[in-house]
Amino acid sequence: MTESAARLHRRLAVPIRLYLGGVFLWASWHKILDPHGFALDIATYDILPLGLVNLQALLLPWIELVAAGALIAGLWSRAAAVLTCGMMLMFTVALGIALHRGLDTSCGCFASTLEATDPISGWTIARDLLWLGLALYVAAFDRRPWGLEALLFRRKAIS
Amino acid sequence: MRLDPPRTSPATPDSPRPLLKQAVILAVTATLLALLVNAVRPDGLPLVATTPYETLVPCPEPQGVVAPITAGAALAAKAFFVDAREAEAYADAHLPGAVSLPFDYLDAVPKAALGALTRQIVLSGASQVAVYGDGGSPDSGEELAKEIAFAGIKNVTFIQGGVAALAAAGAMVPGTAP
Repeated sequence: MTESAARLHRRLAVPIRLYLGGVFLWASWHKILDPHGFALDIATYDILPLGLVNLQALLLPWIELVAAGALIAGLWSRAAAVLTCGMMLMFTVALGIALHRGLDTSCGCFASTLEATDPISGWTIARDLLWLGLALYVAAFDRRPWGLEALLFRRKAIS
Repeated sequence: MRLDPPRTSPATPDSPRPLLKQAVILAVTATLLALLVNAVRPDGLPLVATTPYETLVPCPEPQGVVAPITAGAALAAKAFFVDAREAEAYADAHLPGAVSLPFDYLDAVPKAALGALTRQIVLSGASQVAVYGDGGSPDSGEELAKEIAFAGIKNVTFIQGGVAALAAAGAMVPGTAP
């Protein structure tokens, strides 16, 4: 890849990273505020064994939040994008299983499944695949990122 | 002059190892934060659920197209009758010759039961199917009729007023389940 193309990709990765960070910040918020509701959402998918439902409900929103914070702050953003890829893959598989089973409910991505918004459909899967693509882009191209990491590096180089 | 090969660290900048290491550190940090917050919040979740969750999913909607029919017209047409009420209600009293297939608003009719009923209808040679239920609103007879029609049976009707209309016509007889 030429230097100008690499520079363009690095610049494009910044707004994509901020957008993904915003999406995950938004997605994590209702789950952190209402872990009981999110556990019920996970149980509604009927994929995980009961023993893992609460653990998933507790850990996943915080991984989303930490990844979102790292993406927005520009600190270990490529690693955060790798985490995001993992989560998007998991969500896509879960949505695919739910769609195959004909589960007619909200996906629980940005609100509880009990609320009649964002129903599980081919559209929600396509949206997750788009976000997976964006996360892969950030993981591949967000080198020397603008943000906290760049500030820390610069300070280290000066001192 | 001999040149030494350039030194490279085991994990070069393009290697996925440092990236994965950072990802693991982020995940572990998130895990610790999650467990800490859950431990201090008054409404924290137990780490392992022991009681199954009462999941709420919308009831399946029967989708076939059916027509209403009066009790008198159904009896005159010598239709194939299906009783959609619970088995106990059927055992108390039912229309002579009617087949019992209880309709459940929360679960779709089992495919095996629907298949068996379809075969009975076809073998009977009846040109019309009349389903009766509790006659309420919604009417279990109408809902079951939609499921039967959706399974591919033609000319499926439901009796308006359900069991009350048939009782008023004097057609119900006390009986036991077949």
